[in-house]
This record gives sequence, structure tokens and C-alpha cells, in this order.
Amino acid sequence: MTRGSCLCGAVTFQLTGKMRGIIACHCVECRKVSGHYWAATSVAEEDLNFESNEGLAWYRSSDAISRGFCKTCGSTLFYKPLAEDRIVVSAGALEPGSGLNMTHHAFAAEKGDYYQIADGLPQYAEFTGGERA
Amino acid sequence: MCGDIAFVVEGDVKGPSVCHCPQCRKQSGHLWSSAYAPEPAVKIEGPVSWYEASATAKRGFCARCGSFLFWKAHDEDTMSFALGAIDGDTGITLEKHIFVGGKGDYYEIEDGVPQKP
Repeated sequence: MTRGSCLCGAVTFQLTGKMRGIIACHCVECRKVSGHYWAATSVAEEDLNFESNEGLAWYRSSDAISRGFCKTCGSTLFYKPLAEDRIVVSAGALEPGSGLNMTHHAFAAEKGDYYQIADGLPQYAEFTGGERA
Repeated sequence: MCGDIAFVVEGDVKGPSVCHCPQCRKQSGHLWSSAYAPEPAVKIEGPVSWYEASATAKRGFCARCGSFLFWKAHDEDTMSFALGAIDGDTGITLEKHIFVGGKGDYYEIEDGVPQKP
């Protein structure tokens, strides 16, 4: 079991079951919302259990996607493909010791011009692979 | 991300960096990158929500889509703004990683950019 939370604590949760390796996403939307680029795991929807969701707000970023954040502190928390039974969860929200590692970089073709990706992990121009929890 | 808040930065910007402190990691969902400019040079339009994670600074975000946009120390006359929010090319190059002592355990920093504890 891994716990996670937003910065202010108005959203706290537990993840149980299998967690996908962490994917870094460099798409423009993830760069805008995070302020740099985003990194996240993915779990089955039933494996996300809230201890508190009083701060949780959702933004419908496209017909297929809602993005969850804390309305009190602005923390980026979730990405929900609405047609799927999984939810994508911020790596930065997780307590240390999750045992997860970053596996690759997605949407590297959309990365910002001010940084380099140089950690040796695979880079993909768009999304690829491992999207299932 | 949603466009409710827009900003323009006039003149030179300083200190392009990536912050690995736990507060920035929590709020961004991974890491936060920013540069700063004198506060009057950062022209902001739209309803910024502010959260004070500590007594020394406030953090600005969009209440509609959750984008983490600004960081302002109370005792400084500069405003930090997210590099991820910039439209198109920035012409900026990162100068440092900061607060790397607070970094997450699921990634490595290997881009050769100087690291500050």
C-alpha cells in the first residue's frame, strides 16, 4: 500500500494493488498544468481509495479526459481516461518508498526547449506502451 | 492549461531552475521549473488563486484547471513563473537544479546541469 496527498492535505489517498511504472509526460498539457513536465503511475480505479477528498476538483481537458487537482493548494494529482477503468496518479504526490521507478518519457516530441532529457531512459515521440495498470 | 490565466514577462529573466523540494514536487506532481523577474515585469491577467505552504512565500495556481503558475516570496520583489506555462520556444536554458536534497526516489538527475542541495 502506498499513500499519497496534495501539498495542503485536503486530498489524501491510498493506492493498493498493482502500480504501473512511472511515465514522464512531456505533452503540452502536462507541461502547462505541472509547470515543468509530469510524471505518474497508473492504477485500477478500484485501487484508489480516498482518506479525504474535500479538496478534490476536476477539469475536463478533453472529451475523453478529466484532470484532478486540489482546489485549495493547486496540486496536480490525477488524470482520468473517462472510458477506461484506471486512473493515473502523480508521482510527486506519493510518499517515499513506493518502490516505483521511472520507465520512459512520453510525448518527448512536445518537450520544452529549455531542458534536455538525458537520463538514458527510452523516449517516445508520442505515448506508447505500459498504459495499463 | 485552460487559458483563464495568461501572463507576459517583459525584459530579462533570471535563475531558470528546476526545484526538487517536496512542496514543489507535491504541487506540480513531479518537478517545478521556473525563472524569475521583477514583480512589475510579470504582467498577469486572470484570477490567480494563492496558497501559502509556509510563512515565507505564496504559490499561485489556476482554480479552474489546477495549473501551478507562480511562486512569490513575501520578502522579495521578484515573481517566479513556471517555464512549463510558456507558449512555444522560451529561448531559456536551465541553469541549475535546486533543493536536490528533497528529490523523489523514483528518478535520477543526469542532465549535467549544476545541482544545489
